[in-house]
Amino acid sequence: MNMKEQIAQIRAHVTEEMRALDGTQALESLRVKVLGKKGELTALLRSMGQLTPEERPQAGQLINQAREEFTALLDEKLREFKAIEQEAALRREAIDVTQPCALPPRGSAHPITLCMNEMVDCFTGMGFEVVEGPEVELDHYNFELMNIPKNHPARDAQDTFYIDDNVVLRTHTSPMQARTMLTRKPPIRVICPGRVYRADEVDASHSPVFHQMEGLVIDKDVTMADLRGTLNAFAERLYGKGITTRFRPSFFPFTEPSTEVDLTCAACHGKGCRVCKGTGWIEVLGGGMVNPKVLEMCGIDSSVYSGFAFGIGLERIAMQRYSVPDMRLLYEGDLRFLGQFR
Amino acid sequence: MKIPMQWIGAYTPISLEPQAYMDRMIMCGDGVEGYENLGAEVENVVVGRVLTCEPHPDSDHLHVTTVDVGEGEPLQIVCGAPNCEAGILVPVAKVGARLPGGVKIKKGKLRGVASEGMLCSSDELGVPVELYPSVGAAGLLIFQEDYPLGADVRPILGIDDTVMDFEVLANRPDCLSVWGVARETAVACGSTFHKPEISVKECGGDIHDYVQVEVRDPDLCPRYVARVIKDVRVGPSPMWLRKYLHGAGMRSINNVVDITNFVMLETGHPMHAFDLDMVEGRHIIVRRAVEGEHITTLDGKAHALTPGQLVICDASKPSCVAGIMGGEESEITEKTHTMMFECAVFDRASTRVTSRALGIRTESSGRFEKGVSVRTAMEAMDRACQLINELDAGDVVSGVIDLYPDPAKEQVVAGSCKRIAQRTGVDIPPEEIERILSALYFDVKREGDALTAVVPEFRQDVEGEADLSEEVLRIYGYDKIPSTLLRGETTPGGRNDRMRLKDDLAGQLQGMGYYEIMNFSFLSPKDIEKLNLPAGDERLQPLQIRNPLGEDTSVMRSTLAPGMLKTLALNMNHGNETARLYEAAAVFDPLHPTDEGLPTETQILCLGVYGKEEDFYTLRGAMEQLLRHRGIAFQIVPGGESYHHPGRCARLMQGETVLCTLGEVHPAVRENFDMPARALIAEMNLETIAALSQPMGAVKPMPRYPAVSRDLSLVMPERTSVGPLMADMAKAAGAILEDVKLFDVYRSAALGADMKSVAFAFVFRGADRTLTEQEITAAMDKILKAAADKHGAVIRS
Repeated sequence: MNMKEQIAQIRAHVTEEMRALDGTQALESLRVKVLGKKGELTALLRSMGQLTPEERPQAGQLINQAREEFTALLDEKLREFKAIEQEAALRREAIDVTQPCALPPRGSAHPITLCMNEMVDCFTGMGFEVVEGPEVELDHYNFELMNIPKNHPARDAQDTFYIDDNVVLRTHTSPMQARTMLTRKPPIRVICPGRVYRADEVDASHSPVFHQMEGLVIDKDVTMADLRGTLNAFAERLYGKGITTRFRPSFFPFTEPSTEVDLTCAACHGKGCRVCKGTGWIEVLGGGMVNPKVLEMCGIDSSVYSGFAFGIGLERIAMQRYSVPDMRLLYEGDLRFLGQFR
Repeated sequence: MKIPMQWIGAYTPISLEPQAYMDRMIMCGDGVEGYENLGAEVENVVVGRVLTCEPHPDSDHLHVTTVDVGEGEPLQIVCGAPNCEAGILVPVAKVGARLPGGVKIKKGKLRGVASEGMLCSSDELGVPVELYPSVGAAGLLIFQEDYPLGADVRPILGIDDTVMDFEVLANRPDCLSVWGVARETAVACGSTFHKPEISVKECGGDIHDYVQVEVRDPDLCPRYVARVIKDVRVGPSPMWLRKYLHGAGMRSINNVVDITNFVMLETGHPMHAFDLDMVEGRHIIVRRAVEGEHITTLDGKAHALTPGQLVICDASKPSCVAGIMGGEESEITEKTHTMMFECAVFDRASTRVTSRALGIRTESSGRFEKGVSVRTAMEAMDRACQLINELDAGDVVSGVIDLYPDPAKEQVVAGSCKRIAQRTGVDIPPEEIERILSALYFDVKREGDALTAVVPEFRQDVEGEADLSEEVLRIYGYDKIPSTLLRGETTPGGRNDRMRLKDDLAGQLQGMGYYEIMNFSFLSPKDIEKLNLPAGDERLQPLQIRNPLGEDTSVMRSTLAPGMLKTLALNMNHGNETARLYEAAAVFDPLHPTDEGLPTETQILCLGVYGKEEDFYTLRGAMEQLLRHRGIAFQIVPGGESYHHPGRCARLMQGETVLCTLGEVHPAVRENFDMPARALIAEMNLETIAALSQPMGAVKPMPRYPAVSRDLSLVMPERTSVGPLMADMAKAAGAILEDVKLFDVYRSAALGADMKSVAFAFVFRGADRTLTEQEITAAMDKILKAAADKHGAVIRS
């Protein structure tokens, strides 16, 4: 048998045996049997000594070609086996991905804080600075400087909690506006978020403790149009594109002219729905041009400077935004309620 | 304030439908809460005459009637009213009619007899007896005048009107009147306001022969106008008057009382009528009450008066609380023969204080509190006397008493048209400003930009240029305000430090599964007592509210703990298995006031947890992480608050400064707060945290040399603390110790009852070299020695 025939013989039985292989182990045994140190092809190589020097190069070439051929064949088969085995392993390792898992802890800010944060972001982006002040406040800052003199109905004991004749629980965050005007020079752009107090009995829509955010701008040539522009920007930021403001005349002792501000109902985009009682508008805040009397009392020359102020009730915003039916839920701290927020 | 539209329409034509009128008024600054169509529920009810009335063949109380409603054949109607008889004129609900309460009238049979409608009582029509006199529910409403058959009954019964409910702004007391609203309506709708011609027919005589009036305290009563009516003829009021009063929400009493109420509603001037025969000495004295005086007001209640309260007296005693309520004694009755009308102006603050003190709020006191124009009092008085003439309710004695020592001056506001417009942000031309102010009854003079406006006598709220801006803008249109963004010098803006700190800690806590709660700032003193604080603890002396809503909200909290414990208890009792909660809020300390004399407010962060997974260590872990996050070094010191479990509480401290207290809630305190399960609470002073927080510095270089680990198990007495042991071991190991962790605590009978085994993992690393075996062994030896010498901990064999 010449070399070619011998190789052909090996090829024949390798092909034959490969057909019967059942896994990588059998494949590796076949590899050793054919290509190993004591394998058939290696034996063939050793047998080259018996050949004539003229025959050797050709035989060597044939053997090497055969080695490459068998190696490729076996490698190809090995890849096949590995793929099958891996697939089997993956199948074995499959888990029930629908089974409930342990949840890492998750917490949340209070809905009032969530709303406040968004509003603070909106106004700080427009150059407003956050200022905070005492909740127990001097009558002077809470009332006098806000143009609410003694015996004004707004100071009624039915509305205001008193500590003594001169100290009250602030009924709005406006005293911080007064404190700011007294200590800073224009331009002033501040927001005052915080807790405020009114002597209301607790029910679904009233609470003796609630939260406000007021804003104050003092500069030259500030107008009602600037108030509107600022609040329009706020409305879009908080409720989305297309939400705008409607101004209605109103009265507050510390602003003149004063306005109630309605926002386009976000639920129906102004078409009229149950939320806005068909009007297309939701009453959200009040504001106006700072009363020149207030400016003067706070040491700001009203012939040079003007300004606007506004105040937003956070509870109302939060209750509308999350459709909270009862204000008491906000203060109860029940996780069945708080756990829903994110 | 409720006003029927027909009453407004009597002085200003209204061409708008109610909804459009309401919208227009709101946009002009005249708030409207809503409106009610009085007769909305009554439909297809007409005047009919009962022609025949026969007993029902199968009933002992029903009648079979025939009724002429002015169209074709008479209707056959079965009726059960006892006062039904032939000839009477009654309201007839025809087939298809609607009545209040959603009642619909259908053709039907009553005990076999066909009935084509219903004859109505006043109750069935929703008409109160004082609006149209009738026998009430017991029988049919019988018309007392003749009306055409088939006529709609609504105008006859005064329920054909729409009542607007105005929400008058605090600065516009002049609009607490029909004339005020009519004036505004005229400007808002571009129509004209016509005040009625007022003239009084006097019957002779001299008022001074009837009464003497003296105002002793003019500071509280700047004007007092009086007129006398003799031969008073008390009787019912005519329909038009009853109807207006009914629409405005007042009951008709009699012509005299109705006139005073009508004039108050129409002009805004409260009036009072005295039976002069009951006024001792026919002497009226307006003065402050003195010690020991009493009055019984016309609601039958006796009041002790406080010196200083303004009263209207006769020669010897108070007869009326000025501007608030009249006295029982001088009240107008059927027998009144001679009476005095009072139309006065009383001080706002004084009225308010007295009204509060006596607990009486009336239409009158409300108006005086908000402010009644002193200049229009005479007009109101004459309007009342004109009505006396018209209703023939008496004879007006000649002469008026008008005590008005210091007549109010005309108020003039000067301004610049440019500035008036500029403030509004709307480009309003000067001519328009002039036009609007004139329409609003200002007497305006303008020369170029300069403008002077004489304020109308009924307005008390216009003082400066800014007020003129508002007046002009509200009529020109708030909807015309453009939208511009702020311009000019920029300001940096941003959150303040306190808010940033709160946000930062809140973010960390939320990541650890904590939810934010917000409790009221109020507490009951009892809530604080439930903490079992030691006597003398300053938190037991919280800031008192002078006028709290109740005992349970009577003080400002001196600690967040009671609120947190209550919230934990609530969650437990609502079946929530676990809770991690935090609250960041102020506590109030009245004992150490600020320079301004205000209580010191300190921001506190309070954490509360309970549940299977929670113990002292999970909570301490959270607090430690917060401190590490803020770069604050701390030591753990055993001990805590009275409301902590004494063996499971600690303070995290830096030197002498307490950063945080935490512990398991003491069982006795748990019981006080009705908490069925164990819970833990921690508190942290945010101002201390702010002061001690360290900024993030430069990062450490990445380690270049390998680390070596060694584990060590020690046996030590149960009562010996691991914390100090670890600190001493770390100290002994020196700088090459990178980390040490406790990884096991083990107790067994073999170790002995009072012993525990603790296992530590040490990690050593050299900053500049690979450590040798000898170095590590030497360090471990030092560690062992420190453990044995100072803590009695020996290696476990």
